[in-house]
Amino acid sequence: MPTKQGALTDSDRRNMRVVMDRLIPPVDDLPGAGTMGLLDEIERIASEHDRYRKSLVRFLDALTMDMSVEAEGGFLALSGEQQDEAIREIEESLSKEFANVLEVVYISYYSRPEVHARIGWRTGPLQPLGFTLPPFDESILDTVRKREPFWRQAPD
Amino acid sequence: MPVVTSHEAVDVVVVGSGASGAAATWRLAKSGFKVVCLEQGPWVDHSKHPATKANWEELTRTSWAYHPNIRQGLADYSVNDDASAIKVLMFNAVGGSTIHWTAHVPRFHPSDFRVRTLDGVADDWPITYWDLEPFYDENDVMMGCSGISGDPANPDRSPRQMPPLPLGPDGDRMAKAFDRLGWHWWPSDSHVNSQPYRGRLACNNCGPVGWGCSRMAKASTDVTYLPEAVEFGAEVRAESTVYSVVTGGDGRVTGVNYFDAEGHAQWQPANAVILACNGIGTPRMMLHSASESHPAGLANSSGLVGKNLMFHVYAGASGVFPKNEPAYKGPIANIIMSQQFYETDPARGFVRGYTFQMGRSTGPASTAVGGVPWGAGHHQDFIERFGNMSGLGVIGEDLPLETNRVTLDPDRRDRFGIPAPLVEYRLDENSKRLLAHGVRQARTALLEAGATRVIETAQSVNAGWHLMGTARMGEDPGRSVVDGNCQAHDADNLFVIDGSAFVTGGGVNPTPTIQAVALRAADYICRERSDLKR
Ligand SMILES: Cc1cc2nc3c(=O)[nH]c(=O)nc-3n(C[C@H](O)[C@H](O)[C@H](O)COP(=O)(O)OP(=O)(O)OC[C@H]3O[C@@H](n4cnc5c(N)ncnc54)[C@H](O)[C@@H]3O)c2cc1C
Repeated sequence: MPTKQGALTDSDRRNMRVVMDRLIPPVDDLPGAGTMGLLDEIERIASEHDRYRKSLVRFLDALTMDMSVEAEGGFLALSGEQQDEAIREIEESLSKEFANVLEVVYISYYSRPEVHARIGWRTGPLQPLGFTLPPFDESILDTVRKREPFWRQAPD
Repeated sequence: MPVVTSHEAVDVVVVGSGASGAAATWRLAKSGFKVVCLEQGPWVDHSKHPATKANWEELTRTSWAYHPNIRQGLADYSVNDDASAIKVLMFNAVGGSTIHWTAHVPRFHPSDFRVRTLDGVADDWPITYWDLEPFYDENDVMMGCSGISGDPANPDRSPRQMPPLPLGPDGDRMAKAFDRLGWHWWPSDSHVNSQPYRGRLACNNCGPVGWGCSRMAKASTDVTYLPEAVEFGAEVRAESTVYSVVTGGDGRVTGVNYFDAEGHAQWQPANAVILACNGIGTPRMMLHSASESHPAGLANSSGLVGKNLMFHVYAGASGVFPKNEPAYKGPIANIIMSQQFYETDPARGFVRGYTFQMGRSTGPASTAVGGVPWGAGHHQDFIERFGNMSGLGVIGEDLPLETNRVTLDPDRRDRFGIPAPLVEYRLDENSKRLLAHGVRQARTALLEAGATRVIETAQSVNAGWHLMGTARMGEDPGRSVVDGNCQAHDADNLFVIDGSAFVTGGGVNPTPTIQAVALRAADYICRERSDLKR
């Protein structure tokens, strides 16, 4: 169980890595989010931002305190489907906290260059390169320009 | 509060340096008024905006988040909006929320100022569209407007300073769908440069314009109005948090108490005070400035300070389109808009109306956080959405209700001891029907454009970026806080020039109207209130 300050224990980390693999599973030649080694990054973000830290703590608390999970020998002992089920239960009961946990996992995963390479996103900052678009072409207005003004007159 | 330093008296203190405060500071300084603009936030270093960092998507959700309670910057005060159906968004820095804004700048329609006369709801404004028109134009010159005149949904307007921003293939696709449906659309007016303008670069289409612009292609008032205001002699005192507006026994304001960057208490005497802290910060300041001569809060004899809060009600739909040129290139929400359903049509079952504002795709993390499910279906869903989404936001007019309001939180305070604003807001039936209509029509338009899937948002919660109505203008002192020139009924040297002064909110983004109102008020002071000059 997480300590009061919110630092994760080894057991929390093991659980969280598996949770992350369930949230974002492996695809093509990429491992799942947990196996990818994102937990340090998630802990870094959580340590800087209360919202994520508190949510992570509550989520992991809920995971270890779930009696049905404990009865099966803990989260790690469950089958993949059962793990999904346990996660889904927390998603329902702690929806706000779960949304924050999912958000921080998504942010970490989708900030990785190897993920960017797979999905075709130019990695790195957006500036100074930006993107190129053709300039505005007025001919697109041909149809709408035929419309008479239709704004409503108002008395003074 | 014990005062440490007393400053030399000035003509006018402007509190807040955002859209409205900066515009008024500029106008007054240009006319020779001695002006000090007090701003609780710091100057922003534009070279450090999220788009310049590899982890920009993390930053947009943390230290650059829209909600002050998430961001928790030193200048941010906590907002208690637990009891509000819409969460309050703002930025606190020199430039105010224009650091964050997306700079989509439609104007109100003439009908927006006459809703009581035309539709029998709310109240008419004491001024008209035509009173504001020259100030809209003046503001466009200062901020720089990309767009094109000739929109049939609006009165004709002066030539825009720059051509429209590129629509992109996604904008073209949506525009053609509107054409096929026979619905109105028009390229957005944007205070984002499509060409270099007044020393600021052109936009290079990086996307997340709502989190600052390192090229300064987006007009924020710290790079438009304020540098010129300073040249005209205004002083911008950043990191100065106003604690209260002080009044004398005659009820007139005498100056403001504030805390400087080091937390030292300061006294700034002035002939006049202009409040420009936005539709939440201004009523907060007024309620916190109760005094013997203003026992219910500053200029609150009507009891309306803090009441009639309006945000605009928001909903929308996003279409997932077949793979094409990625739709994340270009500013996220400065593409096209449609005002097909702007004016009242009783057959629709609600009064007033809404604008569709088109939005586009964004980066990978934001796409995922935007609703991609976790688990086995994750990757498939993500790939379908990423770079392939276009949205239509419904910006609906919410009518003023006295029960939608800002009061002072009895428990929560900021680091200077100023109570947090307590925000209560609910949607009325008219708003609900309006949004339901908007979402249905958005779906129709997206399907017409070729979307293979449409994801609806019945009502957006994190959408309180337009803050209006909490110190409204009117002719009757019993039913309004300020007059048509933004001058308080209860103190002739106090002015409220931000969105608080709005009587109704229209169905469009409000900032050009906020700035036009502010410029008009400043113009009035320059022309009619020479008594406020030393
Ligand atoms: C994410 C986002 C996107 C937006 N996009 C658009 C858009 O596309 N189009 C549009 O029209 N509008 C948009 N808006 C709204 C727009 O930013 C606001 O309408 C506009 O900035 C309001 O101007 P203002 O002067 O009333 O207040 P603000 O710009 O909010 O400025 C108020 C200033 O007052 C300061 N202040 C408050 N209290 C104190 C105090 N006690 N002492 C000293 N200083 C104080 C604050 O720090 C702040 O800088 C957006 C807003 C957000 C948050």
